[in-house]
Amino acid sequence: MAVITLREIAPGRYLGQWTMPPADMTLQPIFPPHCTWEPPELICGERGLVGRLSFMGLGKNQSVATIRVVPHGGPMEAYTVSVAKPFATAARDPGTDLAVWLDLAETYVNLGIDHILRGIDHLLFVLGLIWLVRSGWMLVRTITAFTIGHSLSLAAATFGWVGIPERPLNATIALSIVFVGVEIVKLQRGEVGLTARYPWSVAFAFGLLHGLGFATALTALGIPQATLPIALLFFNVGVEIGQLSFVMVVLALIWAHRQAKAELPRWGAALPAYAIGGIASFWFLIRI
Amino acid sequence: MKTATRRVTTFGLPAIMMIAGMPTAAQAHLVDTRLGDFYGGALHPLTDFEQILPWVALAALAAFQGPQRARWMIVVFPLALLAGGAASLALPNPPFAPILGISLVAITGLALAAAVRLPLPVLLAIAAVMGLLHGYQNGEAMVASTDQLLFLSGVTAIGYAVLTLVTGTAIAFLRGAGGWRPIALRAGGSWVAAVGIMVLGLQLVTPAAS
Repeated sequence: MAVITLREIAPGRYLGQWTMPPADMTLQPIFPPHCTWEPPELICGERGLVGRLSFMGLGKNQSVATIRVVPHGGPMEAYTVSVAKPFATAARDPGTDLAVWLDLAETYVNLGIDHILRGIDHLLFVLGLIWLVRSGWMLVRTITAFTIGHSLSLAAATFGWVGIPERPLNATIALSIVFVGVEIVKLQRGEVGLTARYPWSVAFAFGLLHGLGFATALTALGIPQATLPIALLFFNVGVEIGQLSFVMVVLALIWAHRQAKAELPRWGAALPAYAIGGIASFWFLIRI
Repeated sequence: MKTATRRVTTFGLPAIMMIAGMPTAAQAHLVDTRLGDFYGGALHPLTDFEQILPWVALAALAAFQGPQRARWMIVVFPLALLAGGAASLALPNPPFAPILGISLVAITGLALAAAVRLPLPVLLAIAAVMGLLHGYQNGEAMVASTDQLLFLSGVTAIGYAVLTLVTGTAIAFLRGAGGWRPIALRAGGSWVAAVGIMVLGLQLVTPAAS
């Protein structure tokens, strides 16, 4: 992720500075045609910074980049561009412009999808839940409880109401996956663990934890308070789309394995649980 | 269990509330700033018609052999893809690769159209050769900045997913009522064979264009 901040020093004139520099300087902002970008100065004239914003070189080393605009005497605006959604539209009044709202929706839905698909630890936890809860409706309830949990804590963390320092949070997320691995092994041994008994409540509790982790992607962007609720909503929608896609793919693969009678033999049935637990234990150790 | 639950409530909840009551910026999850070479590897074969077409045909052919034989494809094909991708890092491009690739399309399509009952080693050999070749071709797409492990993992994962899903679907399809079902799959195979034979002909007539 890279962030460039533009401060308005005079009407239509901005001073730009990388506040979160890109991994390499091949990433360059592209401004509307009526603007002249001669780093560090951006001159847009009377019209101001209005129009399409994008980045050249996005996708090589950066998948997401943000342009923050600090207007003279006005609230900060932020425009996020990602590989999935390669441009954003700057408008004078984002509060009334439908195109800008649609733009926001597209940006943050894509960001949510990207974030969940790259969050391998989160996906591993969901995989563990699927493995643990095989009955249809209970799986729906469990995944829904997990979603509600991470939505609540994501909102709370993004608004700054709660927060946990990075290292313990990362380690605890890893530990939650270890817990699920242990629960799967227990279930396979015929023991009824906490998750087997109350899958949705366990999923809800750990959902609260994982939601704090999701907040990273939003807080790092520095979204202005005015657009924060809507950004949060669309980000959550994106996370949900990504998560449901993953669940559907896993369920389809389980179904296909059954059709091909390609299920693990009894002696190897616990291997996935040990794999999930082993990987998560490794993460736990390197995160503490 | 009740004691354990009480212990968690007594000690765990206050601890969580205490930590959560000291807000700092939440930073977590393994999010990298790269586009993601795993997904790059996973999407790469899907963009190539010459690869995805024989994969689908191979999975349908495997379904004709019955679940007992077909299930081996789920293991052999992805492993061959991985081995082929790894080989691309060390071995030069074999000159016969383009012809072999197209030939495999035609062979798989013809075998599917004929619904031949292949001995298991022959079926696995076709899967292994196709996997090695396509793994190699995908591996060649990597550049210096590509994370090779992630990219090849992506290629292997998509090979596993496509073969498993199509094999399972084809088996379920064939299991359904109606004599038209095998005919429909065989007709699909004939189209794959036709595409393979046409492209092979073009390759042989104009070798310079390849």
